[in-house]
Order: sequence, then structure tokens, then C-alpha cells
Amino acid sequence: MAEGPVPFWRRLTNSAGLREPDRNETATNTTPFSPPADRVPRPAAAPEPAVTNVVDSEALLDIWFAREQDDVIVWRTCLPGASTAEIATRLSLVPAAFLADDADVLQLAENILETEYGASGTTPPDRRRQEVLQIVDQVRATGSRAARRGAALVLWLWASDDLNGPLSVPLSPVWYGRAIAALSFRLAAVVDPAEWVRDADRRDEAARTFLLWSGHLPAGEDEATARSILAMRDSLQQNTALAQTMADHEHRLQVTKRLQEARAREAAARYSNE
Amino acid sequence: MSDPCAPAAPSPDLDDPLALAEYAAGGAVALTDAERWPTLDEAGAARLGAVARHPLAPTWVHRTGDRLTADGVARARTPLPVDDWLAGHLATARKLPAYRRVADTLGDLPSWPTVTRDDLLDDVSAFVPLDADLDRMIEGSSSGTTGRALQIPDDIEEVARSFHLLVRLVAEQGIHWRPDPGRMALAYVVHQRQAFTYTSVISSFGQAVMARLNLHPSQWPAAGQRTGFLLHQQPQVITGNPTSLAELLQPELVAGLRPLALFSGAMALSLGLRRDLERAYGCPVIDVYGLHETRPIAVSADGGPFVILDRRVHVEVLDASGRPVPAGQRGEIVVTAGENPLLPLVRYRTGDFGRLVDVAGRPALADLEGREATRFLALDGSLVPSVDLTQQLQAGGARGWAVHQAADGSMTAAVVGGDAAQIGAALGRLLARPVTVTTVPTLLDLGEGKPRRYESLAPGA
Repeated sequence: MAEGPVPFWRRLTNSAGLREPDRNETATNTTPFSPPADRVPRPAAAPEPAVTNVVDSEALLDIWFAREQDDVIVWRTCLPGASTAEIATRLSLVPAAFLADDADVLQLAENILETEYGASGTTPPDRRRQEVLQIVDQVRATGSRAARRGAALVLWLWASDDLNGPLSVPLSPVWYGRAIAALSFRLAAVVDPAEWVRDADRRDEAARTFLLWSGHLPAGEDEATARSILAMRDSLQQNTALAQTMADHEHRLQVTKRLQEARAREAAARYSNE
Repeated sequence: MSDPCAPAAPSPDLDDPLALAEYAAGGAVALTDAERWPTLDEAGAARLGAVARHPLAPTWVHRTGDRLTADGVARARTPLPVDDWLAGHLATARKLPAYRRVADTLGDLPSWPTVTRDDLLDDVSAFVPLDADLDRMIEGSSSGTTGRALQIPDDIEEVARSFHLLVRLVAEQGIHWRPDPGRMALAYVVHQRQAFTYTSVISSFGQAVMARLNLHPSQWPAAGQRTGFLLHQQPQVITGNPTSLAELLQPELVAGLRPLALFSGAMALSLGLRRDLERAYGCPVIDVYGLHETRPIAVSADGGPFVILDRRVHVEVLDASGRPVPAGQRGEIVVTAGENPLLPLVRYRTGDFGRLVDVAGRPALADLEGREATRFLALDGSLVPSVDLTQQLQAGGARGWAVHQAADGSMTAAVVGGDAAQIGAALGRLLARPVTVTTVPTLLDLGEGKPRRYESLAPGA
């Protein structure tokens, strides 16, 4: 690995509030990722003070649910992607600066979208870029530390190719907006992103969530397997307080869908003006 | 082989700049007859076919049934029990997503917040029970007279049951309405430029035939076609609104039709029109007050106050801050409605105003405001009902509006949302005169009451 400063960081530090990192200054200082099942149990690090409460979580989930994403359709359209291990390893290597409270996540997004795609000739269509920036701005507007950290981790996953080499299956910019929204508003609502870095199970959940909303099945898994494992890990489904919020959302989707279907399937005879 | 009963293939009138695609013939046909009328027998099918294929029949825009199964037929004939219904209704409503975050604060009815049409527009699903049987859901759109179209989850059996409410209301007038194979059971008449029209059988009423008919002259191209069709069908009961019922005063119809009763709804029935219809047909004229969201609320059979129906409906009259007004004082009519299991409403603000009074020991609504029947004077002297304007305002995306015609015929419209230029052009074409359209930011800027206002001071309107 080169000893000198990495140009990538010079570009990112521009207005983003990031310091040029020490090579070893990751958010975890843990060993590189190993699959959760293979890990030797060890005392968990002291968690950071909880930064989300139920109200905050519900507010983030409301934003997510307002996007009316239908995960059934997303699962059906997923293509084989990188392995969860690849994504999880990247998560564990996130520079601490990305999770710092003073990081300007919107500026970070602008820089990463610029540096990652601006010079290479593979610039995503401007509307995709604008979509991502709007979501990041929405993240910033929530004032939620969890959402901001979630967004920063996704930005890191996109940017990390520059330091860690390309993923085995490239990500499609088409789903960048969906992916950053899912991790910032859905997953960050129920699991502090610091845990995505620190805890093996939560890291696996974050990696799987990221792959799903990026339009990918984990390498070597079919839809049924991937769904089953993520359902088992899904913190939202296991959070009793928030499960009702999710049930409401699914109800809304179902009623809306059925109303549209009912409209297409004809009305029924009526008998008088109302 | 093509079905001779079916409406014509969709063919929007390309020469008509005001034609709306949803009213193209056959544009909303999706089911089979077995799905439309699961219990239809040979005799019922024959009666239906005879009406559908009658040589004087209009071009049917739609084909639709009541979708009642055999069990559903039996249930539709039976009113829902009303004993202690309100407590059960509130228990159901307390579990709605709309109230989840405040459920602990909700006790008896006065402790509940009021609900507005905008709340339903924002997220109607929040008012649908989580355990509702969505297989019974049909979509109803309240697009006739009241602002931006609202998609309402209707229940198949509740809609069918509403027919039997009419039967009971006729019976209360001392008239026994029973199926007559030689006559159409019910004609639901409208009079507007574009409308869904269809014929169907009423599965729970001896598979007698009904039809929704548009009396607008444009729908009956042949001379004498409209009169001939109606006289041949001899509908036992005719329902409509004041605009369409006024058409029944045509002498050739008065001379030949023999309805058992007439029903008016949706808009205020003037005393003059009521008396004219009563004189012309010598039958009861029953004015039904209700909203699609709440279903029928009250009736007036004599032009007096509207007596609250003995069904799952509870009426309050509240002031602007949501407090009950003193007995007999004017205020907004707020309805708790429990007939539609897919939309159990609690304290729904109707946007209509009136006074709660007592009529022979029953609660009733007096001085009802908010259902004014308005027509506009076109440059060629014809009168255009407000529903035709509603269709174009909604097509232009407006969420609410106030349309005013001055005594000299000049037209202005204030709209909330939508494309003002498109709306102005459409209304201008409809009335053959310029319409000045301005936009205002919110529904509140339109003033008190429903999110639509129609007023015409033009002579004869």
C-alpha cells in the first residue's frame, strides 16, 4: 500500500469536515471482518449512549415509509451481487472521521459523487445524483445523529473502492438513492450505525440491508435464503414498539394497492346519489 | 363472439376537447358476468339482456354488477343491528392506525378528535381497520360534487344493503315496493355531460333490473329515444339529484311514468321542485342527506327537517373549535358513521351546516346548508350543472375551488392546486365564455365549509 497521502482523502476533506486519516484510524480498530457464526464470543464494547429514542425512530421510519418501497418487488428484482463478507469488511474499515459528529454529510456526499464518478466518464445521470443529494439533505434536516451516521456509512461503502479496490460485483448507481434511504431511515431508526461497525450480527444485517436495497442478493444465496437470513437479523421486525409502525405501513401499502386494483376492476352498481 | 350486452369498445371522442378518458364507453370493464352477478339465474339474465339490448337503450358506458354471493344476498337484505353499536364502533376505531398514537386518550365520543375530508385524502388507509376483509373492497370515488376526488374503500355488501334502505324508506311511506318482472326496479338518473351508465340486476331483490341513466340529451341521439326507453322500462323507483329529477318534469315523461317514489340526493332539493314532482307523479319525494364517506345520514319526506336514520349513524353539530353548539343552534354537521366496515368514521366533519332539532321524538337536521344545486348559464343560453364543472376542475388537478357567475354571466374561479390555465380553458369551452381563474394557496382561503363553492347569479340559473 502506498505510504504517501492518498489523493482520495484530499478530495474528500474539501469542506466535508474530515481530517486526513491515519491509515489505521478506523471506527473500530477491530480485526477485519469474519462471519458472525465463526466469531469467538467476546465481551461487547461499551455501547455509545443511545442516540435514538422511539419518537426519533418513528420519525425516521415515517420518512422511509413515505417512500412506499415495496420490498417484495425489490426482492424479486435482485441480481447476484457481492458477498455479505465483502460489504461487512468494508463497514468494519470505515474511517472514524466518517462517523464524527462534525462531519458535513451533505458535503461529503457531493464530494464522493463527484470524485467517484465525475472524472471517470461514468457519471450517473444527474437526476440520480440529485436524488441522492436530496435524500442526504433530508437526512441532515432530521437532525438525527443515527440517520447521519447511516448515510455516512453508505457513502463510505460507495467511496471505499478508491482505497480497497472494486467490489467483486459493482453496484449500480440506479439504486443509490434507495440504498442510502434504506440505511439512513429504516435501519438507522432501529440500530445505531455505530453498532453496524462494532457488532458482527448488526454488521451482517447492515451489509444484507445494503445489498438488498442496492438491488443485489448476497453472493452464493438465492432469494429465499437471503430473505430468510435477513428476516432473522431484521431489527425492525424484532422491535415490538416499532413493529406496529411497520404493520401500519404494510397496511397502507395493501389498502392503496387494493384500491387501485378495485378501481381497475370496475365499481359496483349503486342505487342513488350521495 | 362479442357480447351484445357489453358496452361499446373504448373510444374517447377525439373531436371533443372536454371528453375525459374514464368516461369512454367500455373504459372500465374488467370482470366477467359471473363475477358481477355470482347468483344470476336464467330469468335474471334474460331481464338484464332485454334492457341492455333494448333498441332504444343508450350506449352503456360501463358494465357493472353487485357482486353478491348467495350468502351476501341474505346479509344485504338485513339491516345491521343498532343496539349499542356506538361502543363497539369506537372500540373498532380505537385500533385504527389513524389513532394508534393517541388511542390511550380516547374515551367516550366527545373525547375523540374530529376528522376532515383532508385527513382521508392524506391517508385513507389509516382509517381502514387492520383486520378488514379487503376482498370485499370496491373503490368508490366521491367525485360528484365535493372537491378533489377521494378514493373511498366501499364494502360490497354495504353498497347492496343501501338499496334495501331505499326499500324501507318507501315502506315507511305506506308503499310496498316489491320486484315486478315487467318493470325496471330502479332508475338512477343523472344529467351531466359525461357519466358512467350501466344496467345491472339487483341480486337481493328478485334479480330485478336497475340502470344508471344519463338524461343529458347528448346521450340520446335519436328523437324520442329517451322518453321511449323510460316509458318502456317503467322504473318503479327513480333516484337522482335535483338537476336530473327536474328533467322528469318533461310533459311526455309525466304523462307516461308511474313511479312508486322518487329519491333525491347529493344536492339541496328546493321546495318548489319537490312540490312540482309530487304534483306531477303523485308519489312521495324523499330527500336523502348523506355523503359517500358516511353513507346516508338523514331523510326528509315532506320538505321539513331531515330525520336522522335509525341506523349506525350518530350526528353532532359542532362549532368551529369542535365544541357542541347549544341545542338548536347552527353549526357544522359532524357524523360518526358505522355502516361501512371498511371505513368506520368517528366525528367526521361534513362541511355542511345545520341545526339539530327534534321531530316527533327523533333527532333531525334543520336548515341544512352546503348542498346547493347550482347551474351556470352558458353563452348559448343552456344551463350547465355544476357537476360538469367539477369533472373538469378535478381533471385539472384542483383540490378545492370557488366558482362564481355574476348576474351579467361573467365567470371567475378561485382554485387551490391544479393547472389554472388548463382549468380556465376547459371551463371556458364548457360555458362558451371566458373564465378567469386565480389560484389561492390553501382550502382555508376559500372560506368556511366544503372545499368547493358554486354560485351563479345569472338569470335562470
